[in-house]
Order: sequence, then C-alpha cells, then structure tokens
Amino acid sequence: MKQQHLIYLILGIAATALFVLFGEWCYELHYVNGFSDDMHNYELNTTVSVITALVPWAAAGIYYYAINSVRFDRWYHWLVVLALVMLITPVAGYMVTDSVMADNGKSYVAESVTFELLNMLWAAVLFVVASFSMRWWSSNCRHTPIPQ
Amino acid sequence: MRLFLLAIGGTGSRVLKSLLMLSAAGVRPVDDNGRPIPNLEIVPMIIDPHKSNEDLKRTEALLTNYRMIRTKLYGNQTDVDGFFANRIVTLREIMSDSTIQITDTFIFNLNAVEHAKFRDFIGYDTMNEANQALTSLLFADYQLENKMNIGFVGSPNIGSVALNEIKDSNEFKALANVFQQGDRIFFVSSIFGGTGAAGFPILVKNIRQAKNLDINNRDVLMRAPIGGVTVLPYFNLEHNEDHRIDKADFIVKTQSALYYYKETLTSQNDSELNAIFYVGDQEVSKPYAYDPGEHGQRNKAHLVELVSALAPLRFAGIADNRLTDPDGNPLKTLAFEFALEKDERNVDFLTFGASTRSVIYEPMVKFHLLFLYLQTGFKSMIGQGFTEDAPKITSDFVTSQFYRTLTEQFMRAYADWLTEMFDNNRSVQLFTVGERDMNRAIHGVNTRKGKLGFGHRVVDNNAFKSEMNRLSRDSNSYSARTVEFKLLDLFNRAATNLVRDRYENIN
Repeated sequence: MKQQHLIYLILGIAATALFVLFGEWCYELHYVNGFSDDMHNYELNTTVSVITALVPWAAAGIYYYAINSVRFDRWYHWLVVLALVMLITPVAGYMVTDSVMADNGKSYVAESVTFELLNMLWAAVLFVVASFSMRWWSSNCRHTPIPQ
Repeated sequence: MRLFLLAIGGTGSRVLKSLLMLSAAGVRPVDDNGRPIPNLEIVPMIIDPHKSNEDLKRTEALLTNYRMIRTKLYGNQTDVDGFFANRIVTLREIMSDSTIQITDTFIFNLNAVEHAKFRDFIGYDTMNEANQALTSLLFADYQLENKMNIGFVGSPNIGSVALNEIKDSNEFKALANVFQQGDRIFFVSSIFGGTGAAGFPILVKNIRQAKNLDINNRDVLMRAPIGGVTVLPYFNLEHNEDHRIDKADFIVKTQSALYYYKETLTSQNDSELNAIFYVGDQEVSKPYAYDPGEHGQRNKAHLVELVSALAPLRFAGIADNRLTDPDGNPLKTLAFEFALEKDERNVDFLTFGASTRSVIYEPMVKFHLLFLYLQTGFKSMIGQGFTEDAPKITSDFVTSQFYRTLTEQFMRAYADWLTEMFDNNRSVQLFTVGERDMNRAIHGVNTRKGKLGFGHRVVDNNAFKSEMNRLSRDSNSYSARTVEFKLLDLFNRAATNLVRDRYENIN
C-alpha cells in the first residue's frame, strides 16, 4: 500500500467528517426563512448531511470493490454511478425531510426540492472525494475515472 | 552452459524453427530433477550452402526476430521464466577475439563451397586421367556439374567432400575459441538427404580430431559433449521425371548412413557421440513439391520437426556424468527414440506421452493464448487498467519495432507454422486453427464447469485483463522494467493462473 494513497484516504475521510460536522453551516449558505429554521429545530440538517455522506461513500465502495469489473472500468461507467448518487441522495434526503416535517404538521415542498437540488451538488462533491480516497486499491477500476 | 546448435541442411533449418517456437513459448531445458539448466545460451549455426532455400530464409528471419524480441525483454539475462526464455545468440555476439572475422548472423559462411560447381571445387579439370576416371566412378555427371549454391541435391558423397572444408573456416575457429569446459555441441540433421547426412559425421570427426587442427582451445573442444538428432525419412515427394532426388532412395540412403554412423559415431568401443536421438515416422507426410533446390524449397512444417526440436533441450538437461567419464572422455553413446502415446493421424496434446506433455503443454497453451490476445484484445485495452500502471503502455507502443516484430512477423510465422503442421500428415491439431475464441482454441480441451455446476468457466480477453490488472496492482517490480517486459510477463503470469484455474487437465 503506497503511503501517498493512504494519505488520500485519510484526507477524504477527514473532509467527509468535516462536512457532517459542519453540515448545518453548509446548508445554511442557502438560508430560507422558516424552512431553514425548522430544518435546524428538527435536527434535519445533521440527518441529511449523514445521508449525503453515506450514499456517495457506499456507492464508491460498491463501484470500486463490489462491481470492480473490467466491463465497467471506463470513465462513463463512473459517471453513471455519479448520476445514481446524485439521484438517490436527494430523493432519500427529501423523503426523510418530508416525513419529519409532515409528522410536525409542516409542508415545505418547493423549499425541500430546492434544498435537495443543492444537496445533489454536495453529494457529487462527496462522491468525487470518496472515489479519489478509495480507488487506489481496486484491481480493475483504480484508474477510473482518470488514470492515476 | 552454452549449447552450440549446428543445424545442417533444410531439415536442420526446419527443426530449428520448431525449437524457436518452443523457446518463444517458454519451453526450457531441465535437468533430471526438473530444474531449469542455469546460465544457458543457445548458439545456433545453420550450415547449408543453399542460401536461397526458403526454409533457411524463414528460419534465419525468425532467429533474428527472436533475438531482437528477447533482447528487448530481458537484455543479456540468461535465467528467466516466461516467453522467449531461452537466450539465443550469434557466435559473433559471444566472441571476445576480434582477430577472427565473422559476420553477425546465424548462418555459417560457406563461401568457399557455395559459389562453385562440384567439379571445380575438387579441381576435376586439373586431375590426371586416372584420377578423373576414379572421380567419375564415385560421382555421377550431374553431381560433378552441380553448382553447390543449391545444396548437394540429396548427394551425401558431394557433401562429405565439400563440408570437410568447414574445419578451415573462420566460423569453426571462432567456435573453438569461445568453447569452454561445460559447453556442449548438438547437431540437427536428416539422414536421408545430402547436406545433413554428410555434414553431421564430418563435423563430429573434425571436432573429435581437433588436435590435428590449427585452432585455439582444441583440447577442450575435442572432449566436448556432443549430441545429435538424426531425422529419419519422414516426408514424401511428388512424382517427377528428374530423379536427382528420389524418394525411393530415402530408405536405402538411410540404411547406409545408419550403418556408417554405427561404425564411426556410435561404435560400442569408440563412441564419438555422447548422445544420439533418432526421430522418424513411417506415416509419410503429404507429398512435397519436387524441388532439388532451384526453386527455393519451402516445405511445410511437420510433427517430426517439432519432436526433433525437443532433442537439443533434452540433451542440455542430461547430467555430465551420464555423458562423460571423470576425464571428460565420452561414455558409451546414449541413444534415444521418441514415441507417441497413441498412434493417431491427428495429433493433439493428449497424443503425446506424459513426459512430453509436462514439457510443452502448458507453455504452448500460454503462448497460443498470447497470440490470440494480441490479435483480438490488447489494442483496445491500452489506456485502461494495467496499461496505466508504471511503466505506462501508451498507444505508441503498438507502432514500436518490438510490437510490430512480435505481432506482424513472429506471430505470423507462428500461425503459418501451426497451419502447416495442421495441413500435413500427421496432422498436428494442438490448437483449432483459425479459432479465436479462447474457450475453444485448445483442441480437445474444455474449460471447467462453473463454480455452482452451471455452465463453464470463461477464458476471454476480459478474464486476462482482470487478472493482469490484479497482478499489476500487487507488483512493485515493473516500474523499473520496460513496457515490453511488463506486458509479456504480466500476460505469462495471468495465463499461468487462468490455464490452471479454468481449463480442464492441462498437464
């Protein structure tokens, strides 16, 4: 195991942990009166940030170590996984948010959609971080999406 | 150990071609315990005045290509595993004495012989009447008129006179100079033609009587362990009214030569040869076009040549104490024959006996898979997986001299060789000619059943890519090597794993 690759992994984990820790701050960069307050009050920012961290890392893990196939080792295969991450993460986030809000008699459909569209970008960033943290040890996909 | 391999005549060239194919596949000589012979260098020398012989030209080109490919792969290293394992060098390459002038080729220079008519060579016109009469008794008119640049047209009586000149050649002196204790000499020749049948005993005699020659190192040379494969009649000729070479004479010539060999080379009391291998086949080949030499002689490759090519490898693996006494004198000649396990017209790997299979089966299968992979899979993989690991294999690689020599010349010759052996009789069907599917390419061999009992394991370019990716990831050694070495070594290792894991019974 190359030391350099281990450093990338540690840096990736640290960056993701920072995102989870400071998720609320990240999300409140786009502050929406009422909706952002309720997200804070019901601790949904933290919940969604955990989902947004877990889905990209899980997807990257599955792509690089479970699929790990020469049939899926091109950059466009990686893009497909990225697209799935950008789809699954906001959908999962929306469902959790909507469920909690509904339990508390609130409804923020338009705000939630906007929030999750922005969250989609965070998921994409975290998928890139996860990919470049863990790909080095994959036998077939370590050079995807770009060669080492 | 250096093995000086003297390939005489057309059969010599064709056997050498088979040896090159085996060497390219990674077949190495091993000792009685199965360990590869260390520090082996093979020094082939083709002895044939018939320079326009197509078989000679094909073998010479193949030797040159082999040497270039191997040098790119391993430099001057001797003990390597994998494709192109045996180091093959020219006599010039290993010479340190620059006072002897020889060219850097695998062809023995026979200038003194090849440009002369036989009658001029022996000075027939300057003989007195009595000697001319005696000479005319010994040689037919067409033999006296024979211009020897087309060989000796099946006339060993010409060859035995003409090839006696070899002892005075620079090549022979160079051989004597570089020959060291522990080196060996091996002859490849046919017994039923002109060049080989005559050249073999003459050259053995010249080596054993080296004390009479004005050469360095003669004491070591005259005690050299010498082996030879004598190829008995195995091919057939189309009918022709010109009877300079007549297939009806093959057996008679063979009987005479065998008798002569018995008296002079393998005698019970005075063995000149340390080991002799007899190879032949009563199942005659498809008839070859009648050509005493004028049209180039291009014969199809044949099973007998493949089997004969195993002889020098076997000879190199025989322990010293089985060949010579403690003083270096030859023991009683060891004689070897070869038999197929099954007497069949269509020969695949299972037709060979277990000992032959253990030597050639796996290496040849791996080499054939390499052939298929380079044809069908490799180019599309550049820029992916293992090719991106250091040293990177870029798209420029496929235009390199190495790659083009390997694929456009060596592998093409390999395909021709397989096809020719397939088309001959016996028909050698080790691989299914023209089959590009790796799962069906090895004749009579299937891939193993799937892990859950369903279907069969798959061997294809993706399986190789995956295995090479894994091996490349786990290896730190390639970054200091060339891309050529990386590609072939990775493939060899991947093929070893896949062949053992996915095919049935390759052993």
